[in-house]
Amino acid sequence: MYLFSNAIIYLGLAISLYSLLIITLGISTKNQKFVNSGKGGIIALLLCSSLAMLSLLYLLGTSQFQYVYVSDYTSSELPIIYKLTALWAGNSGSLLLWTFFLTLYTAMIAFSRKMKGNPMVPYISAILMANAVFFFFILAFVSKPFAILDAIPIEGKGLNPMLQNPGMIIHPVTLYLGYVGLAIPFAFAMAALILKNVDDFWIKMTRRWTIIAWLFLSLGNIFGGQWAYVELGWGGYWSWDAVENASFMPWLTATAFLHSVMIQERKNMLKVWNISLIIVSYALTLFGTFLVRSGVLTSVHAFANSNLGLYFLIFMAIAVIGALYVLMSRYNLLKRSAGEFQSLISKESSFLVNNLLLVGAAFATFWGTIFPLVSEAVRGTKVTVGLPFFNKVEAPILLSMMFVMAVCPLLAWQKSTVKNLRKNFLVPAIIAVAAMGLMIFLGMHKAWAVIGYGVIALLLITHFLEFYRGVKARRKMTKEKPLVALYRLMIRNRRRYGGYMVHLGIAFIAMGIIGSQNYDLETMKTVPLGGSIELKDYRLNYERLDQKKEGVNDIVYADITVFKNGKKLGTYQPEKVFYGNWDQPSSEVSIISSMREDLYVVLSAWEDDGKATFVVKINPMMNWLWVGSFMIVIGALFAIWNGKYGNVTPRYTGVCKEVA
Amino acid sequence: MKNKVYLGFLILFVIFQTPLLRVHAAEFDYKSAEFKAVASQFRCTCGCGQDHFECDPNTCNETKEFKQDLVDMMKKGWDKDKIRDYYVNIYGEEILTAPEKSGFSLAAWTLPFAAIGIAGAGLFFVIRKWVKRKAPDETNETVQDIEEEVEGEILSSLIDEERKKYL
Repeated sequence: MYLFSNAIIYLGLAISLYSLLIITLGISTKNQKFVNSGKGGIIALLLCSSLAMLSLLYLLGTSQFQYVYVSDYTSSELPIIYKLTALWAGNSGSLLLWTFFLTLYTAMIAFSRKMKGNPMVPYISAILMANAVFFFFILAFVSKPFAILDAIPIEGKGLNPMLQNPGMIIHPVTLYLGYVGLAIPFAFAMAALILKNVDDFWIKMTRRWTIIAWLFLSLGNIFGGQWAYVELGWGGYWSWDAVENASFMPWLTATAFLHSVMIQERKNMLKVWNISLIIVSYALTLFGTFLVRSGVLTSVHAFANSNLGLYFLIFMAIAVIGALYVLMSRYNLLKRSAGEFQSLISKESSFLVNNLLLVGAAFATFWGTIFPLVSEAVRGTKVTVGLPFFNKVEAPILLSMMFVMAVCPLLAWQKSTVKNLRKNFLVPAIIAVAAMGLMIFLGMHKAWAVIGYGVIALLLITHFLEFYRGVKARRKMTKEKPLVALYRLMIRNRRRYGGYMVHLGIAFIAMGIIGSQNYDLETMKTVPLGGSIELKDYRLNYERLDQKKEGVNDIVYADITVFKNGKKLGTYQPEKVFYGNWDQPSSEVSIISSMREDLYVVLSAWEDDGKATFVVKINPMMNWLWVGSFMIVIGALFAIWNGKYGNVTPRYTGVCKEVA
Repeated sequence: MKNKVYLGFLILFVIFQTPLLRVHAAEFDYKSAEFKAVASQFRCTCGCGQDHFECDPNTCNETKEFKQDLVDMMKKGWDKDKIRDYYVNIYGEEILTAPEKSGFSLAAWTLPFAAIGIAGAGLFFVIRKWVKRKAPDETNETVQDIEEEVEGEILSSLIDEERKKYL
């Protein structure tokens, strides 16, 4: 097994190198045979990465502790599912998973039906192969997943209990799919530039892949937040940790691209800008990996320190310099077709403002993340840039973003006149202001919250109007029933209405964030057995403290009966788990959830006489966050679904070059 | 005599107050909003990556003592800025969870907004240039109404559908 698995990695490196060279040779000598041979190499490479991953899964599943990776991240009593998911618990395993996704995506594109006959394919394959060479090189020489120990340990070190949670199974996988996914639009962009062919087909394919990567990135962040909320006993979901920022930045720039590419599609403008956004998004994924794996910044997500980060930094530098070179050499070509705007106020302008704010938010995040390093370099003092900074700096930017999102649907393409603005905005604006007045009247006095909810109200109204007007217009012509008209309207304009669904999802998430950040209540009390804690309308009766054993873990738990306004809600058991093979205990919180608020109970400590300390939190509107997240997924899937009327990505029908 | 009795009561009252105060100190709510405002300014250096509000005093001794010191200062009537200055004087800016809003650290706070402002101004001029480029040949074009636009889109998709049916 040792020989086999290591051989597979070296073979992978050789094949990826071969494919890269032979495809490049095929392109330069216009020899289809060479290109086809390279494509065969891609399949072989997918096979290699799959076999390597299966080998590691097998070793993890059967607890072969002679392997460093297996003994570092698992132990024999670990449930089988966590033994397997330990694949992405450490550096080399997660890079192997990354490599697998990369080869999978590459094969999907190289053998896509839609891309058949497209001269971009060899270029895209070559660029992705260059990525694969890098990853196989890392797996073969820097971070070896199949390294072996001299002596076989009896037991492994075990998996960090924080990672033993369903959220942890899926959070890294989705995030990696998103990260790797952004390499695809990058490869498309580079191929298009090299071929001097930034056409409509390119836009459609690139956007589609960007939405896929964007969706996975969103999912990755959402699952991460959800995991933090239920597992860390802290009651929060986003801490602006360096690594969270690293995944948030490409998300922002990819979002910006998804909007500005519409201008390119309609007006044939902003080509340089769009390609820059793709390059930046891709570079940011590598930068994020550099942050996680280098240890230059302290982070809860950081992997064990290694010099791996340096390799990523070098690779990122090469990729960015190469990309900029290609972009500059094609600059005149892209510049030539610059178009024009008809008015200062139009949908096009609002998209540009959206881009400004999204990229601005990404820059603010970047600046805050690297500021400790900048400060240390400039004046020798290492400062911490944490949650209070990001909350203060990002809130106004993202709120302005929400405002643009609210206003944009009602702006006309080309040109909006004052009359047209008044007609479209008067009613929504009045309702939104009235809603804000009502909030103040009902006792909401926090300015940010009132403004935030006001903007969200405006957003909901303008989006409702979009659906309403669409249905009305359709019914005028087709005389369909309202629901039928709505359904047909949506499936015939998937991108547009999928996008609106995503907007609504973002609005719900924003509602959850504003509610939980501004109106949360918290208390920490020590009570004797039989005592009670009161917080707002809730009363928690502390009934019992006991201990149980689950496998090698000891669990201390408390029975708490919860009443709301005197009505019993049930008995809950917050726990503290002490692990047989891990020093740090962890909290299993009890969450009583409703659309209005979550009651969040943590068993913090206890004494011999039965006294126990609890942290009790009320987090308003948390469920809106999860509902909004769900809508984002539905909206994004709706937008990229290839239905009967999808025609989202037509088959390539352009000119056939020498090699494809 | 009367005064002495009053004084005696007062002394007794103060004596009985002390244990009450102690109980109060022991049960100080570390999760209260006023404590959050003070404690969340400071970074816990035990390696947890949290601030002194979030870090659990039951598992971290460092924050336990730190929290107690904060409560003592709050009881002395110090406000959060005074407490902040006190710690920054001892440990430097490193102890804070966010950079100071003065000196070089001010750049952390202002640069993002300055960048957005400058880029925004640039964007305004660029769009104006694009509009001007259009201006000379601008005729009295009909302004597309949103409703018309949606109708147009629907119409074209219907036509497209019909076309697909027959072609």
